[in-house]
Amino acid sequence: MIGLEFALLGFVFACALATAVLRDVLGSIIAFAAYSLGIAIIWVVLQAPDVGLTEAAVGAGVTTVLFLLTITKTVRPSGERTLERLDLPALGVSVVLVGVLATTLGALPPIGGAETPVATSEVTGYYLEHAYKEAGVKNAVTAVLAAYRGFDTLGEAVVVYSAGVGILVVLQREVFA
Amino acid sequence: MIDVIATRYYYLATFLLLGVGTYMMIGNRNIVKKVIGVNIFQTGIFLFFIASAYLEGANPPVLTTEAPHVSPLPHVLILTAIVVGVSLTAVALGLVVRIYDEYGTLDADTLWEVRADE
Repeated sequence: MIGLEFALLGFVFACALATAVLRDVLGSIIAFAAYSLGIAIIWVVLQAPDVGLTEAAVGAGVTTVLFLLTITKTVRPSGERTLERLDLPALGVSVVLVGVLATTLGALPPIGGAETPVATSEVTGYYLEHAYKEAGVKNAVTAVLAAYRGFDTLGEAVVVYSAGVGILVVLQREVFA
Repeated sequence: MIDVIATRYYYLATFLLLGVGTYMMIGNRNIVKKVIGVNIFQTGIFLFFIASAYLEGANPPVLTTEAPHVSPLPHVLILTAIVVGVSLTAVALGLVVRIYDEYGTLDADTLWEVRADE
């Protein structure tokens, strides 16, 4: 199991790096789709199948289509070089960010341990115990999404609607063609 | 040091993905790739949440399986965040298409120059 996890994390990180350094935007988008698929498998390994399904459909599917639509409507940088030139200031900023974040690693709870704050939280226990009785759904994620935090999901729908209106305004169109 | 990393490698992966996302947002000149960078940064944060919900030997939060279950709450938050992230990407790419129609380039540096001349 641990070998699989390291293989997946390695694959995902390699895809992320490929996305960053490939000069051709189409190549970058394909690497990003592979990255999303790897992440979706990681969600399943981490016992989050609902998130895995959404990521595979939305992250690897819809997002990739959106990126591809964008490059068909715009331009692909052509040139002889395969890789992007390294930007040293940006590399410096990201190395500093990773360094600062890495100093907090020891203060975080170990992953998967029985006494991690999320696992022992009262909220977690309440949802798992009452989800079926109160919401009538055997899938606790659905129960929380649609019943306990239904207003959150309404807000999400508002965001999606605003995004649709926003795109029409930006592209100066009246309907999605 | 080694055992800190051995029990927290998902968090380390999160930090590395945040680093790659930051690099792409600042370093890549093509604005489509900057948007991909935003997406990678975002999935790094998702990994942090889902990893924090994980419980060794637990089942998914579906109540037809045996206890213990992993916590459903971070999963719900991330499901919402994925959909919001796609909306954000869609609007950003709409702006990219509009910028290309207006200025004929997707290169951030060229855009600076063109905007400075106006």
